[in-house]
Amino acid sequence: MKFGGSSLANAAKIRNAARVVERFSPENRIVVVASAMDDTTDRLVELGELARRGESARASKILSRIQKLHTKTAQATSSRKESKELLDRIDRLNKELEKTVQGISHLRELTPRSRDYLLSFGERLSTPILAAAIRSLGLKTQALTGAEAGISSDERFGEANPLAEVSYHEMRRRLDPILARNEIPVVTGFIAATVEGSITTLGRGGSDYTASLLGAALNTNEIWIWTDVDGLMTADPKIVKDARVLAKVSFGEALELSYFGAKMMHPRAMQPAAQRKIPVRIRNSSKPSLEGTLVSSAETPNGGRVVKAVSIIRSVGIVTVSGTGMIGSPGAAAKVFTALGSSNVNVMMISQGSSEATISCVVARKDVDNAVRALQLALLGQGLVDNVVAERDACIIAVVGSGMKGTPGVAARIFGAVARKKINVRIVAQGSSEYNVSFVVSEREGPEAVRVIHDEFQLGRKP
Amino acid sequence: MRIVLIGFGTVGQSLARILTNDRDWLVKNYGFEPQVTAIADSRGSCRDDNGLKLDLALKVKEKYGSVQKYPGNSERKTNTHQIISGTEAEVVIETTPSNFENGEPGLSNIKESLSARRHVVTANKGPLALAMPALLELANHTRMQLRFSATVGAGTPFLNFASKCLPGEKILGIHGILNGTTNYILTRMDEASLSYQKALAEAQEKGYAEKNPDNDVKGLDTAAKIVIIANWVLKRRISINELEITGIQNLGPKRILTAKKSGARIKLMGRLTDSRATVKPEEVPADNPVCVPGNLNAVAFSTEHIGDVTLIGRGAGGEETASAIIRDLVDIRSEYSI
Repeated sequence: MKFGGSSLANAAKIRNAARVVERFSPENRIVVVASAMDDTTDRLVELGELARRGESARASKILSRIQKLHTKTAQATSSRKESKELLDRIDRLNKELEKTVQGISHLRELTPRSRDYLLSFGERLSTPILAAAIRSLGLKTQALTGAEAGISSDERFGEANPLAEVSYHEMRRRLDPILARNEIPVVTGFIAATVEGSITTLGRGGSDYTASLLGAALNTNEIWIWTDVDGLMTADPKIVKDARVLAKVSFGEALELSYFGAKMMHPRAMQPAAQRKIPVRIRNSSKPSLEGTLVSSAETPNGGRVVKAVSIIRSVGIVTVSGTGMIGSPGAAAKVFTALGSSNVNVMMISQGSSEATISCVVARKDVDNAVRALQLALLGQGLVDNVVAERDACIIAVVGSGMKGTPGVAARIFGAVARKKINVRIVAQGSSEYNVSFVVSEREGPEAVRVIHDEFQLGRKP
Repeated sequence: MRIVLIGFGTVGQSLARILTNDRDWLVKNYGFEPQVTAIADSRGSCRDDNGLKLDLALKVKEKYGSVQKYPGNSERKTNTHQIISGTEAEVVIETTPSNFENGEPGLSNIKESLSARRHVVTANKGPLALAMPALLELANHTRMQLRFSATVGAGTPFLNFASKCLPGEKILGIHGILNGTTNYILTRMDEASLSYQKALAEAQEKGYAEKNPDNDVKGLDTAAKIVIIANWVLKRRISINELEITGIQNLGPKRILTAKKSGARIKLMGRLTDSRATVKPEEVPADNPVCVPGNLNAVAFSTEHIGDVTLIGRGAGGEETASAIIRDLVDIRSEYSI
């Protein structure tokens, strides 16, 4: 089971996480994965930047805040018997962190490698604290770093790729004996090491990735992700009053939902579990009696309804390039996406009519200006593109469900429902997986579109 | 090319002999000039960055049972870690005894070598039987070569045959006799109507079986080879723990006799199909190409378009195994040519 940063945000939450482990320990053999406390990782990123720029006053302020947070939490969460050893350990790590920051500010250099080393302190500090809190409840634990647990990766610092087979083999070799002694391994999420032993971080997916790798290596029955929501929902409950938690979804559906903003594992993190068909359960750490959402390789029907969930991505914009010169001109699309790619604009949706006179891209609103500028510079004045226009007021509505595959008429129902509310649909896309239909409407009309689709497919009704 | 030898038993010594005797021929034909910069056996090690004198190392080994008395830079203890990372070399050759429990010490030696950016040639099946997917991934990651021709069929190129002579042909399954020791025992039980114990004793006397014959007669050696073929030829990620293994140690003369009456022989067969991997004594018709006598090995590759292709050859022996290692070395050498 993995505890996210929000489930470890303070002493009370850490004690709660420990009780959750205790609650399930009699019937299960458990491996625990810990994220960094709260937003410590973001603070460390900031700290690294400040140190690199030589802003030592501000850097030392953040540094001491991080150090104090962990020392205080360690004092508050462990029994007297545990606290001496734990505090020594936290103290050592705090000193090491301080030296690292000093090193960065002396050199005024923060390489991806030293950055990973710096970021690793978040989990390296939180993990022994959680382990001691669990120990204080009378269970046996062993705190391990990702490297000590056997996770090795390539040298892509900042977003390292695990060497899956090497890691699986090592994790089994190192954790099986610990589990056999009835001890609970508590492993730092997010961090791994190269075969030479340098610390790396797993980047997107972070601690979930660690949990997924551990589950796959040890062939666990399930992987539980403890977070601060009840599970995956049919829609955002702030928009739809009768939105409810989905009991089961497939990996394919979860993939779509995670892309469309659900509080869910990153697709990258899901992969090891999906590959070895190990179900993942999303649960709320403050309501451990709830079952949460089970993500598995099984395709589960939703009470005859082809749609499972409808989600919304707000704050996007549409950038449209048009020009009669693009008609029948090979490579026009390539030029558009090269221009966007080289200015680091992530394209979320694409639409091109078969007349080829326009190409529309949906991008995050913060990227709209960048996108327009990049496209204008790259394409105007060559006889290919006449015009680049942007609309800032848009949102994406994504309708997800594996039952849509091969069921005719789903799109008709979706757009029929939207049309009855006189909502104008700007762009439509359906992935070839047929697990999702997504479309763009104005930001103002987005919530209403979510509600009518939720109603149309009766998603609020229990299956 | 500079070489570190870990393990200096029968195979290691045979290799040293061939490298000494065939040196000029290897240089002339393959541009391969072997230079052994370190040798480690279980009791000690010797090193010379300019190349050890192999004939001297062989003499020292024969006289003292270890290379630790090699004049000059030698040590009483074997610190393989230091030898692997601290000796100048392109290739590490691993010939320590196969261990099917945890693969050690070979497993650590191979991991360490690949991590230290050394190519590895291994004759040791243990690490591959237990962790082949991991070792192949590690080699791929460090861009080093991991070669293991010697582990299956010794000198007979079963692995290279499948991967180099059958590209584009779908291999559907593999079965065959992959262990010479058990085949010898079974042949003698059949031909001379010996009991299992007697046949085993005879095999031990002739040097075909080891004093502790467990790895062979319990089917572990055959199983390891099936794992290696499965991973390398069929790209199936399995380990020895996933195989169903039955040895020959409980085989009575009755079963052999019954088979004989129907024109068949009992053979310890390794078998790999789409869904299963097994090692067990099976009845094989005497006229089947894989039904080979004595200590021979035979492997049949079942293919989609050309049916069964069977390769027969000797599957053990120090010199045969050393020859397979040299094949791998020459291959690695050729990668350096531009």
